[in-house]
Amino acid sequence: MRVRSMMRRLVSVCALVGIGTASAVAGACGEEIAPYVDYRVMGVASAEQALQDGKYIAAAGMVVRMFPEIQRMSVGRDGLLARASRTLALATTRSGGALAALEREVPADLLGTLRGATDAERAENLAWSVNALRNLSEVRKNDPAVQTDLGEALAAVGPSHEEARKLLEGLAARDLVATPQGYAALGRLHAELGHDAERTSAVKRCEAMTKGAAYCAGAPSSGRSQG
Amino acid sequence: MRGLAALTVLAMTAGAAGCDGTGSPRPDAKPQATLVASPTSAPAPAAAAPQPAALDLKDEPSTGDAERGRALVVKFECNRCHDGTGLATAPRDKQCVGCHQDILAGRFRAPAAIMSRWKEHLGLLRETPSLQAMGARHKPAWIEGFLLEPHDLRPNLGATMPRLAMTRAEARDIGAYLTRDRVDEPRADLSMASVDRGRALFETKQCGACHAYTGVSPRPALTPPAAPYGAIALAPDLRGVRDRQRPSGLVRWLLDPKKVKPDTLMPTVPMTEKEAGDLAAYVLSAPLSPAPERKIPERLAVLSRRVTFEEINERLFKKTCRHCHSEPDYALGEGGPGNTGGLGFAPRGLNIGSYAGVAAGMLDERGVRTSVFAPMADGTPRFVAALLARQAEEAGRPNPAIRGMPLALPALSPEDIQLVETWVAQGRPL
Repeated sequence: MRVRSMMRRLVSVCALVGIGTASAVAGACGEEIAPYVDYRVMGVASAEQALQDGKYIAAAGMVVRMFPEIQRMSVGRDGLLARASRTLALATTRSGGALAALEREVPADLLGTLRGATDAERAENLAWSVNALRNLSEVRKNDPAVQTDLGEALAAVGPSHEEARKLLEGLAARDLVATPQGYAALGRLHAELGHDAERTSAVKRCEAMTKGAAYCAGAPSSGRSQG
Repeated sequence: MRGLAALTVLAMTAGAAGCDGTGSPRPDAKPQATLVASPTSAPAPAAAAPQPAALDLKDEPSTGDAERGRALVVKFECNRCHDGTGLATAPRDKQCVGCHQDILAGRFRAPAAIMSRWKEHLGLLRETPSLQAMGARHKPAWIEGFLLEPHDLRPNLGATMPRLAMTRAEARDIGAYLTRDRVDEPRADLSMASVDRGRALFETKQCGACHAYTGVSPRPALTPPAAPYGAIALAPDLRGVRDRQRPSGLVRWLLDPKKVKPDTLMPTVPMTEKEAGDLAAYVLSAPLSPAPERKIPERLAVLSRRVTFEEINERLFKKTCRHCHSEPDYALGEGGPGNTGGLGFAPRGLNIGSYAGVAAGMLDERGVRTSVFAPMADGTPRFVAALLARQAEEAGRPNPAIRGMPLALPALSPEDIQLVETWVAQGRPL
């Protein structure tokens, strides 16, 4: 079983390397000036679109298929990998750390804890998301889009609520919360503290951005289409 | 979409296609030669357009520092859009028109369906003028003024030179560098030249096949010969030639354009020196009516229907804004001057490639992250104000408080700005 699993991973990685190599070679066949097409660019863009459409399983599936080792990789300054990592982190956060339906999308042995079958696995997944987004935030300092995502992920982990609220409040004060989910998270955090006026304000901003998505008022965002 | 992250245009000066052209008539521009008076009368003047700041357009060598000018040409990355800068061609993914030219020529590597769609929509940034041999023809003072207050020279090009963040001293130094090959030669003797004969030659030589010459009395309609797209696009309106061109240079140019500027698309039209003198006289001193006033379009009230990011994105952001405000990772490294910086602009960190990117704001003049929807002094959201500022720039009224967008491209229509303004007013729904 272990050998089969390793073989599968090897095949996935080789396929990716193969794509890159073929592209590079094609680019060098007498037309050096023409940029070659890296299909992972389109793949990551599709995953991001799926995430935006609330199709978290589809988004996570695309990322894991393209980058099977992403949870163990150091993203560093690789922009494409950073976007893939962000997409998986948010899909995981918005699914409450449980992506069980991912089994339909990718081979089971590539899933690791992503299924979120137990509380411990779900906590591990949410913690990975926070960590991934924190790393991105370090690389992309002063980027409210990343900070909003980090705030949303932190808000999904109990002990981090204070940090999440401060982060999102700071962004909201400058009108820089970059997603409706960020405002929704801020609304939930204010609700916890009984800050009704602040909660209402955050929910209103979320609703204006989304035409009243259910998650703005507190329903978990994973309640949306899982696509 | 690698190179499509490229950018804007600099439809700078150089006369790649011809005798060079327009601008507004300037009261301080004096004829450069004694000419035979023309009986031609111009049409009744319309309301005068606002004039750029007064320029000293006398034809004297620049007082700028050419060496500093070269460093500034590097700083402002003139080679991203122009050949003939004396610098190496910019890398592919930084060029203004390289990717577009590849797409049109079928050289760009992208799926056929996407290429077909791009080709269908690709109207702007197909050509830019070369800056070769500026010194042989242009007045340094004019270059300085044009860099500070760019205006439309080429009616068929669409794009114009952008308003760069440039000081007068910098513009002067660039003018000195670009005219470093200037040779002071005897002033052309056009004393025996005739504007009327020049006008007739303009018709018989079919200059109007490529060139507009606005402000002169109407010319008979001709069926011009077919000219290549590039030649027509780069051909300046001849109205402004008198402001920027040296008479001696113009005569030499008319006789053999390619000898003056080897990469020009202006054809060599057989003519005698006397004919070149007459034609130069017509171009330099035919009476002109004032340029018509360019009005700022009326701002439309916000719509009552819902406008989403998806609609704005499809209609505007994807087609225009992203070329300069892209996420570097989407563009494989080049985020464009409006994001990662370039053309002399500091990085502004504005990514219009996604909803979150737009919502994440930009770095302001102090380098502080600020919402692009923050109100300006008059309450207009900055994002909208930039679109309105471009309309004002086109009308010759640049707003010192904000640069017009899209940079160097035609202003958005009032309807498109209305759409954006509605979206912002509605809370920027996804």
